[in-house]
Order: sequence, then structure tokens, then C-alpha cells
Amino acid sequence: MSTAVKLDTSDNISNQDKKVLLNNPFENFKIENYKYAQLHKNITSDVSLEYHEIDLSSISSLKKLKLTDAVDIDLLSDLNKWNYNNTDSFFRVNSISERSSIKIDLDFFEEEVLYLDLSLFKENIQLNKVNELQKTLIINNSNFSDHIPRSIILNLSENSNLNIIHYCISNSKSFLYFEINQQNNSKLKFITFQSNNIHTRNEFFSSLEENCSLDLYGLNIHNHGVNDNYSFIQHMKPSSQSREVFKSIVDNGAVTNFQGKIYVDSVAQKTDGYQMSRSLILDNDSKANNKPELEIYADDVKCSHGSTVSKLNQDQVYYFKSRGIEEEQALKILQKAFLVETLEAIKNSQIKEYSYNLLEMRL
Amino acid sequence: MLKIDNLHVSIEGKKIIKGLSLTINKGEVHALMGPNGSGKSTLSYVLSGKEGYEIDEGTIEYNGKNLLDLDVDERANSGLFLAFQYPMEIPGVQTSFFLKTAINSKRKFLGLPEVDALEFAKLIRSHAEDLGISSEMLKRDLNVNYSGGEKKKQEILQMSILKPDMAILDETDSGLDIDALRIVSEGVNKLRSEKNSFLVITHYQRLLNYIKPDFVHIIADGRIVKSGDFSLALELEEKGYEDLSKIAS
Repeated sequence: MSTAVKLDTSDNISNQDKKVLLNNPFENFKIENYKYAQLHKNITSDVSLEYHEIDLSSISSLKKLKLTDAVDIDLLSDLNKWNYNNTDSFFRVNSISERSSIKIDLDFFEEEVLYLDLSLFKENIQLNKVNELQKTLIINNSNFSDHIPRSIILNLSENSNLNIIHYCISNSKSFLYFEINQQNNSKLKFITFQSNNIHTRNEFFSSLEENCSLDLYGLNIHNHGVNDNYSFIQHMKPSSQSREVFKSIVDNGAVTNFQGKIYVDSVAQKTDGYQMSRSLILDNDSKANNKPELEIYADDVKCSHGSTVSKLNQDQVYYFKSRGIEEEQALKILQKAFLVETLEAIKNSQIKEYSYNLLEMRL
Repeated sequence: MLKIDNLHVSIEGKKIIKGLSLTINKGEVHALMGPNGSGKSTLSYVLSGKEGYEIDEGTIEYNGKNLLDLDVDERANSGLFLAFQYPMEIPGVQTSFFLKTAINSKRKFLGLPEVDALEFAKLIRSHAEDLGISSEMLKRDLNVNYSGGEKKKQEILQMSILKPDMAILDETDSGLDIDALRIVSEGVNKLRSEKNSFLVITHYQRLLNYIKPDFVHIIADGRIVKSGDFSLALELEEKGYEDLSKIAS
């Protein structure tokens, strides 16, 4: 497949970025951070993806974000300044070179739930949150067929508080770069729900200042093709906490990847980092690759990671059946049980219920 | 009710049960005793329909039907229940949800509507109280972080609410302290009636002091080598299994 990048000689792109572009994962499959994403291949599937409609009519206080809600357009120069060691992301550079950008201030709206439907925007999006008041942001990233990556930048100011649920469903191609900048005492819960996709990659680059908390939960079920999650969580100042849990159920001959790094800077003492990636493989054709990494330069931290790949426990299925429960139902209950930890993290009860229903439909 | 005739079972080519015959009629309680590796647990798994066991020969008839034709869940819904020696832990599935799903599966099988929420709550509460299972425990994940005794009580709770015609207790007494043993036995005795039958598998006579069997069978090397009444259990307790192995060979 040809690359998404058509690099012009625009002065807006720094030399450093140019260097990154030379390492293009669309051309070179050996680049470590993109090794399993198979971007150099045009991943297709025989299945025709049904259009996924997100119906949020059950959510009472909802604001749909539109282009006219943007406070600023074309922040290319701004985006180039956000440069804290994350040149590892080809997507970031690529999206900046290909798309214009807009800025939305999340505190501007009174509604408790904000809805960002990415199909309404062609731009990269910068989202800012200043207020302590808790809000939930729904990011709908469904039905895409777009090989040019896009960037979503989240800036959480001091003491701010945000919950995000990202629905990534029925995409034949979708490549996203999330950049999360958390200033002192900010809190973020981020849940990504991924299903029925053919070729996706979601990157989560996060930077934490002092006394922050980040919960990043991933649910990945019944995809086709190659589905890839990459996270890079940087603890840059003391006393922050990050908790990351990714759960995948893989079948249909699909490949699911999780690669996650926790980086703890030498000044980031009292960091509490946790990372867990677990995959359940339902058939003999499917694959799961998990690669947890820790890079720690401080000496007073708590960091742990774990990773499992397994099949469904047939003894558990037998136990259900021995109590009269049909196999099909037993399998659904056990798959749901494997995943629910991720949905339990959702704070808003209406969105939680909606997500549970969505999971039931996708089981 | 249950008629096992000349049963031969092997696992991966290794013969475990070698010509076992046993008939259990309605309302009877049979105890099956025998040393480790004699085929007790294999028999219980074969009856419940677990995969991985090869039936080389013989028949098992249950309520006039060929039991071996039925899948595990069909056997359960037809009234067969196995209380496991080592109940599975099911993380992420709340105990009460599991119980409700099991009850509704049986009701669906019988052509009945789903159980009413209030009715279900009452049913569970009354049986759980008898077994000393708290409502807090019913909210926990099934068997996860349960003690050995709690797991066995949970099995008896499932049995009590599913009301099987034929219950097999596979070493339900192992790992129980005296109090738990009494509570579990009371749970069994409560279900005992002219309509229900039991096959109680155990190493020790102790359990049989609480659950008085009508018949006692000794299994050794995959066959029943001796049958009798309760006095056989007492004899066994006194003399041990060694004498019996001689009979078997």
C-alpha cells in the first residue's frame, strides 16, 4: 500500500519530524513500535461490516460537538510545539502534515455529556479541559475507511477531571493518535471499546505531571484483520498514578496487538504504575501479541505489569453446562465476565448501561 | 432411575473403569467408597457427561433414556446433578446471577417462563440461610476466594434450588470441618425423599453417619467388588481398603 504521507517541503515541519517520516511504518514493517500493526499491508476481510449507529437518545444531558463549536482553527504551528519526546509516533507527525486542526474547549458547554462524532470532522482535534467539574466525553470513531491517521490531543489543566469513552466500531481502516497531557492534580478515565474492525491502530501517548491519575481501559472483541493498541505513559513528575487494563477476545482469524510502555522519569518519585493486558483466543486461527514494557529511572516507585494469552477454560464451560446452562449461553457469560472490568470503570450510569447493551449485542 | 451396566471407560487409552454395574432406584441413597485411583471421580464425570472419557463398553440408562445420548446440559436439566469435589472458580460472574441463570435454564427446558425476581430472591434466601451462606456472599464472584467449606456449601445450595432427581456427591466431605459437614449433610437430608436418589462418593464413613445410606458399595480397580448395607462402611473403616484390593485382584 502506498503511504499516507505526501511530505511537502513546508517549513512547518521540523527537521526532527522529517527524520521520523523517513521511518515510515507504511513502508517499513521492521520499526519496533509498529512491528505488529502491519501498516505496510492492505488488510482486508471478506466480511461486510454493518454500519454501526451510535444511538445516544437514552442519555439525558448531551451536547453534540460541531465544527462551529471550535474556538480556533488551523493550529498546525501549535501542534508542532507539543513535542515532549514522543517522536516515536509516526501517526502524530503524519496527521499534522495531512490535516488542519481545530481546538475545542470542553468547559464551554453546560451539558454533562459531550459527544464528539469524528465522522463530522476531517481535522485533527485539540480538546481542552480546565474545570474541576466532572464531564464525560463520548468519542465516536465508527464506520471509518481512512488510512490517513488523525490526532486527538487532550489537554487537562490543573485539577481538571474528565471521563472519556471511545467507541471504535465497524471501521475498515482507522488509525488514531491520542495525546494526553495532564497537568498537576488532574484526573482522567479513558475507556476504549473496540469491535468489528478490520484494520485499526490506536495510539495513546500520555504525559503525567504531579499527583495525577490516569485510568486507561481497553475492551476489544470480535474484530477481523489486525487490531493494534499502543500506549506510552510517561510519568514526568512525582506522585502520579496510572492504571492500564486491556482485555481482548480474539476470533475470526484476527490478530490483536497490545504494546504498552510505562516510562518513569528520574524525578517522578512515588509513581504508582500498573499495566495489565489479557487476551482470550477463541479459535486456532487467531493471534494475540502482548508486549508490556517498563522504563524506570526513579528509585522510589511502584510499577507492575502483567500479560496473559489463553483460551477459554473448558472446565468452566463444563461447570456451566453441568448446571443446565446451554453452551452458547455459557460462552457468552464467560466472555462477558472476562471483559466487564473495563466497562465497570465508566462513571456515567446511562453510558455504562448503553455500553453494556452494546457489549451484549457484540458477544 | 439409574442403571449402569457393565461400564468400561478409558482416558487416553488407559482403562479406568472395568466392568462396573450399579442400579439406583427412586428414593435410594447409595454410598460409593474406595481407595484413591479406583475410578470414583471418573464415574461421576462420566455420569455428568464431561468430555475426554471414552466409553468402551456398557450402557447407562437414566429414567428409561440412554444417558450417553444426552449432552451435559441436557442431563442436568433432566434432573441429574453432580456436586463437584473441586468446584470451578468463575471470576466476573456473580454467584446469584449464576444461580438465576441455572434456574432459568431448567425452567426453559421444562417450558416454563423465567423465574420472577421476587420469587427467586425468596427461594435463594431461604436455602442460603439454612446453609449459613450470607447475602453478601451471593453478591461475590462464584467460588472466587471462597474457602474449601464455602465452595462445598455453594454446591449444596445449587443442588437445593435445582432439586435434582439424581444427585451425585463427589467427596463433598473432603476439606470440611465438623460444623460444615453437619450443615452440608442437613442440606442433603432436606432434599432426601421418595422421589430423589443419591450417589454419595466418599473416602470416610464419617459422612455416612450424617447421611445414612441404604446401600454401600466398595469400588476397587474400576469395579464394584462388594456391596452391602451401612455395616459395610463400618467394616471398611476398621479394616481399611487393603483387604478389599485382594478381593479385586
